[in-house]
Amino acid sequence: MVRGSRGVFEISKTLSEILVCPLSKQPLRVCEKSNYLISDAIGVSFPIVDGIPCLVPRDGEIIETEDTPSDSKVDSFDTKKDHKTTQD
Amino acid sequence: MSVRMVARRLGSKLLPRFAPAATLHSHATSFGFKEVNEEEKSQLVGNVFTKVASNYDIMNDLMSGGLHRLWKDRLVSKLSPFPGMKHLDVAGGTGDVAFRILETINSVNRRAKEDTREDDLQEETQIYVCDINPNMLNVGKKRAQERGLGDLGSLVWVEGDAEKLTFKDDSMDGYTIAFGIRNVTHIGKVLAEAYRVLKKGGRFLCLELSHVDTPVFKQLYDYYSFSVIPVVGELVAGDRDSYQYLVESVRRFPPQEVFASMIADAGFQKVEYENLVGGVVAIHSGLKI
Repeated sequence: MVRGSRGVFEISKTLSEILVCPLSKQPLRVCEKSNYLISDAIGVSFPIVDGIPCLVPRDGEIIETEDTPSDSKVDSFDTKKDHKTTQD
Repeated sequence: MSVRMVARRLGSKLLPRFAPAATLHSHATSFGFKEVNEEEKSQLVGNVFTKVASNYDIMNDLMSGGLHRLWKDRLVSKLSPFPGMKHLDVAGGTGDVAFRILETINSVNRRAKEDTREDDLQEETQIYVCDINPNMLNVGKKRAQERGLGDLGSLVWVEGDAEKLTFKDDSMDGYTIAFGIRNVTHIGKVLAEAYRVLKKGGRFLCLELSHVDTPVFKQLYDYYSFSVIPVVGELVAGDRDSYQYLVESVRRFPPQEVFASMIADAGFQKVEYENLVGGVVAIHSGLKI
């Protein structure tokens, strides 16, 4: 189960074992500090908003590393260009 | 209610099929009766559901005269939920099917009073509600709270794409999709993903508006769909276009036999369907063996 309170969440063992990256189908790593699920296989992070993991491919953001230029995009994945917000 | 079986035999199909490639392409590029690019379809459908989310449940009651509740009851009874199951409800946004499954399991637990392991199993029960639209999920979460199901931990809300599911292979005992599959862009991909995530022995169940063939009833149903529903949509939700899309999308979805053969193509065995209300809705099912 995922519970959100004051931006900090807990993700149960069952859930973290059953969720995989929607694109690569590889396991996801939970980053509790930043409220993200990380797909190391393809270097993409998925946000958790209001306790709901957002794992639609277009929600993913490429994780920028020191080696990659900040505006690099991988065309073969459905990554979005702008930050997605669910609040208007 | 009539039950039809589509038997899957190696190397041949018992029933004639429409040219599947043409059907699939036309589904991917149709938004109701309009022709659109494949890339656009997902966005257009997304807009519809963002708009209808807050009125979704009231409109379902109005449009179906409350019958949708019985249809969903029938879907869940065919699923035979059990405590400790891992179930995925796709396009389940506002939670109707998920709540019914959970409440069925809870009532099974209450009957098994002598079973000392019932608490463990109740903990293990996980119903994943997956929807591509965050507005629908938020409505669902609120409704879960109102029904007293919010804090149990058995309901897990995930925003995800039915064509690219975010769950491991062979992880689910059951998969349901109710009134969702006609809105997807690529039906085949959704069926393939359903097959992937189901465990061996897992059941696929799809409840969807379907095709009516009986002469007089068909005319009445068409009149109701095209003349009444969009008007009700306008009056109640202030949104005629979304409901126009909804009724058109039903007509564009493949008929019962074709959809059944698509399910078989995805690898499912024992594919069958049951018409309710003369085909206004159909429940298709399959088994992953």
